[in-house]
Order: sequence, then C-alpha cells, then structure tokens
Amino acid sequence: MAGSLIKIDEEIVTSAVASVTLGGSDWDSSYDVYMVKLNNVTGSVDTEHLFLRILVSSSPDTSANYDRARKQLKSDTSFTNSSNTNETKTYIGQQIGTASNSQTNAVMYLFNFNNASEYNFATLEELSWRQAGNLHGNQGGWVSTVQQASNGVQFYMEDGNILSGTFTLYGLKK
Amino acid sequence: MATLEELTVEATAEIEAAKPMYKQVNNERLEFTEADYEQAITDLANSKFDEQQYGYIEKRVEAYGALSEQMDMQFKDATNGTTTWVDHVAKVKADFPKPE
Repeated sequence: MAGSLIKIDEEIVTSAVASVTLGGSDWDSSYDVYMVKLNNVTGSVDTEHLFLRILVSSSPDTSANYDRARKQLKSDTSFTNSSNTNETKTYIGQQIGTASNSQTNAVMYLFNFNNASEYNFATLEELSWRQAGNLHGNQGGWVSTVQQASNGVQFYMEDGNILSGTFTLYGLKK
Repeated sequence: MATLEELTVEATAEIEAAKPMYKQVNNERLEFTEADYEQAITDLANSKFDEQQYGYIEKRVEAYGALSEQMDMQFKDATNGTTTWVDHVAKVKADFPKPE
C-alpha cells in the first residue's frame, strides 16, 4: 500500500552491547526514504551521548564528514542552537545514564542513502530524559558530506554500553 | 592538561578493562573484532580530549541558566545596587574554567 512503512530490520537490546547496527546485510535498497525509530534506549555510564555513524559497505564511516544543525529544546533552561561541522560521528541521545527513567527516544528520516552522487541527509526528532532528571530534545538533522551510497546506521554510546532499547528501520513505500 | 596521546593510553586501559565488548548485528550479539576495539579506543580518547578542551562550554551554558532569569537578576541589580548577576557569572566561569 502506498505510503506504508515496511519494517526492514529491528534490533532489540536486552543485554549490554557497545554498538547496534541497523541495515548492513539486512539493507533493502529499493526505497527512496527510510525511517529509523529508537525507543527506550538506555546507557550504562552516566551523562553520556548516544552517537550515530552511517554504514558504507556495511562498515561504520568514521571519517570527519558529519555536519549537524539543530535546535535544542530544554525543559530546565533556555533553548539553544546546536551545530558543528566535520565531526567523526553525530550525536542522537543527550547525556543519558543510569538514573531512573533516563532514556532516549527518537525518529529519523534518512534520505539519499542509495544515491552515490548525493550527500546522505537525515532529519532528527529526539527526546532524552537526561541523567540530570530533565527533558532535552533536538529538532533538526544531520548530513554526511560525502557523495556516497550507504546501507545502514550504527549506534554506540560515548562511553560504556547500550543497556536496552529497540532500534527499528523501516522503508517508506512509494 | 593531558595530550591526546596520554588520553589514548588512558582510553586503551579502559577498553582493555572493559573487554569483552559486544556489538549487536542481525540480532546476534558478537564480540568486537580487533578493528572494533581499535576504533573504540580512538573514539574514547577523542571523546576525552573533546571533554577536556571544550566540555566547559556546555557546562557554562547550563550553569548560566535561562536568559529570562539572568535579565531578572540584572533588573534587580540595577534597582537595588546589588551585583547578583555579575557574581553569578563569575562563579560559573570559576567553577568551569577554560583550559589553559
């Protein structure tokens, strides 16, 4: 059915892992747009970010080509801008940890991942209940400024492990 | 202040202590390869370096508080002849110093 989300890959983390991969050998290149959903992602070390890298030929792209532009929404203080260029990864979750209810939830839409002559873009809508006990969100996105095709994404914590969470990749049916 | 090389030594020791580390791919929990461990060391060392060099910026932004509250402090200072806002900013800068 046109406009449907078709599940391509899902990783349900129930014991500690340092990284989670969506796509790779499971990647289905027949879609133009993909959606990634993160639900109840928790980390083992306090006040650490959840990072993302794209997969190129199923391997994480560690080159310094990630740019981000976002608005940070904060329940405890003023909103701020969050931007940077030429990073080796891009952050998704913000300063989560082992505190009660601390977790990240997010939705991203991925564009141009199958197009070797365009940059890979993603929109990001994210909310984290931080280790500090307040809510921070991000609205915006990121881009990998390399003209290359990609076949998935990898998530990992700044330090320590991902303790739990559901990571789901969908294709958006035309 | 530590150099990146010194922080890499520190990160290597932490990753060694954390072994075995795992990755989840295709719903399988697999131990890191040597390349994965090397990347984890690089990432952790870079993260420590960034925190050392630039961590004070985010901490200061958080500690300064909402602009509306700071404006309120300044209004009261102007009205009462106090120095609450300047003292507040000075304390934040002292609490989270810029690396030399």
